[in-house]
Amino acid sequence: MAAAEAAVSGVCSAMARAGGPAIDEPGPAGAAMDEPGPAGAAMDEPGPAGAAMDEPGPAGAAMAEAGPAGPAMDEPEAEAGAAGPVVAEAEAPPPALPGLRLVKQGAEARVYRGLFLGRLAVAKLRIPKRYRHPALEERLSRRRTAQEARSLLRCRRAGILAPAVYFVDYVTNSIYLEDIVDSVTVQDHINSLQQSGDDTSLLILAEKMGELLARMHDEDLIHGDLTTSNILLRPPTEKLDLVLIDFGLSFISGLPEDKGVDLYVLEKAFLSIHPDTETMFKALLKTYAATSKKSGPVIKRLDAVRLRGRKRSMIG
Amino acid sequence: HPLELFPGCTVTLLLFDRVKNAAALRKKAMEGSIEGALINPAMIVDPFQILVATNKAVHLHKIGKMKTRTLYAEIIFSLSPNNNISDAFKKFGISDNDTAVLIVLVEDREKTVNVEDVASQVEGQQVSLDELPELTDTAKVKKMYKITPQEEKIGTLLDSIVCRMSTKDVL
Repeated sequence: MAAAEAAVSGVCSAMARAGGPAIDEPGPAGAAMDEPGPAGAAMDEPGPAGAAMDEPGPAGAAMAEAGPAGPAMDEPEAEAGAAGPVVAEAEAPPPALPGLRLVKQGAEARVYRGLFLGRLAVAKLRIPKRYRHPALEERLSRRRTAQEARSLLRCRRAGILAPAVYFVDYVTNSIYLEDIVDSVTVQDHINSLQQSGDDTSLLILAEKMGELLARMHDEDLIHGDLTTSNILLRPPTEKLDLVLIDFGLSFISGLPEDKGVDLYVLEKAFLSIHPDTETMFKALLKTYAATSKKSGPVIKRLDAVRLRGRKRSMIG
Repeated sequence: HPLELFPGCTVTLLLFDRVKNAAALRKKAMEGSIEGALINPAMIVDPFQILVATNKAVHLHKIGKMKTRTLYAEIIFSLSPNNNISDAFKKFGISDNDTAVLIVLVEDREKTVNVEDVASQVEGQQVSLDELPELTDTAKVKKMYKITPQEEKIGTLLDSIVCRMSTKDVL
């Protein structure tokens, strides 16, 4: 038992160190420390087996010495608590909002539209990934939600169009945002412009996008998931008011490397989704370089990053 | 106004003008003898602002993570863009020489609030919420929430305020 405890505390502190910067809720780690029984159940099994165990409650009960401590373990997070006794429940229920309907289900979260305090809003609920260890899952979910909220606020402060944050729920790791009514994704817009053969509008759009990204990167904000479906056009479409959404993978960084990677992600997404848009992207980069004050190193890094990646030879 | 995330919970807003007993009301609120949050309407641009603050306060109350001691104090604290409780009270709560008062009442299945009871304690004229914009001191609000000029171009003042209120604890 003593050996197990030492092992537990060792692993626990390692976990704490790994999650260091973003820990704002010592809860899970703390609770795990206090009750070596169930934590022992979670830690004794090496990595993959531990991760495969997604119900800490029953597993804790399975350990003979943990017995009473296991099922009675009070997890501060409601989600983990609900997951414990109810083995069959796969996901959290949708929020009880009137007129709430599922709009999209991404890999990360479910997106709902509905009324929030009398206004049209979008609710993003993170989907818990059952293959992850629950403590890590909670921490990661919370970090992503917090990053999203922080980045949205930063955008607003800098004058970059992004949805307003109405409410952040750190219990279910969901975020309620302003709904940009009647918006079109840039992806759909590009497709329709290509169909009508309107090349000048495409170039103007590209320039606008370059300008937007330059402003964002000048704020040292990295989006992390730049695709044409994550940029919206606010009505009226002709004004080309671009709104950035989906900041779940965003972070703050001043490094040209990170900005270069951000642009590379967009380039890859762009060229794979929209055929024959090389000139468009070139125009985007040109405007980016012209608008951003720190663009020199970024473009250099972008060229370097292009030489990496898939199907590239690492020569020179 | 019902709070969608908390079924059974409703929020009632009462606006009073030409209030004479602000000092007495403030004392009563500090003691806790008034069942409502007393707010300075000059700092409020729209009822939505109050609803967002109340929503957050009720949420924190339900999970036991309030920063203040009562739900009504928490509503006032939620309105503030910073984490200083006493500062929040000074700026968003009522002061002794205020002539207008906005009262927020929260009811749920366990607790109902008597509106006339609260209204009778105020020596002033109850007016419709539509008069709130006239009482708003926009310059003071912009200063308090530190709204940047480029922000004003991309959205309404209300959007900026609500953003700050809801993300205050993460930044």
